[in-house]
Amino acid sequence: MRKNNGYNVPDGYFEGLRTKLSSIPAQEKQPTRFQKFAPYLALAACFAIAVLIGNFILNKTTVPSASDDEIIEYLISSDITLAQIEDYLISNQ
Amino acid sequence: MPRMDERDFNELVDKYSEQLYWHIRNLVGSHEDTDDIVQDTFIKAWKALPSFRGESSPSTWLWRIATNEALAFLRKQRVRAALRFESLDATAERVIDDDPWFNGDEAQRRLAKAIFRLPDKQRVVFCMRYFEEMSYEDISEVTGTSVGALKASFHFASEKIKDLVQLEQD
Repeated sequence: MRKNNGYNVPDGYFEGLRTKLSSIPAQEKQPTRFQKFAPYLALAACFAIAVLIGNFILNKTTVPSASDDEIIEYLISSDITLAQIEDYLISNQ
Repeated sequence: MPRMDERDFNELVDKYSEQLYWHIRNLVGSHEDTDDIVQDTFIKAWKALPSFRGESSPSTWLWRIATNEALAFLRKQRVRAALRFESLDATAERVIDDDPWFNGDEAQRRLAKAIFRLPDKQRVVFCMRYFEEMSYEDISEVTGTSVGALKASFHFASEKIKDLVQLEQD
């Protein structure tokens, strides 16, 4: 038995309240497991995209390197003489 | 404890919504505000249902959410009142006297206004003990305050209520 404290409510209020409260699950669907992890997945995807873009830019801006064998092959196949190479090396010392 | 679902939630609504309404109404006074807080309480409960592990009983858990919601509302109400340069007495007058769903006699009106002037902790323990007749142990579980501290709070609250009601009478 509730102690009378002078407060009252409109007629039929509690029936209406129960109906209103029972509709909460339909209105406030609990997030699925995917929805819960969606922000983390989005973050991981952003990170992966940033890495891919960074990699692409680096590949575009970096001068391709060649091995010693490839350089020697190139020099042999070109018309450059040994004297020209020596001159170049001396002038750059 | 198995996870709770929509059917369990509706059982909580059927079993506790009315009692919870009165718990909140005693704390905040106005019917309109109580109606909003009851709904917010159950929305929070529904959202938190998957993480409810059953360490406390469902009623204790619900009372805890409701009490926190009511206290948060009271804090906001005090800030709004301060911004309007409104005293606590004026707020109490406004909330109790302007509520169309208060039809108590003069003694009940004085008591309601006196409760409104209590600090939050004292108001909570006084209402739960006096109106809801809860044991100190149950109140302790809801509020997380020790039984000894609750007894002291209830004692101070009762003394203050007596003084305030007496003051209004004179």
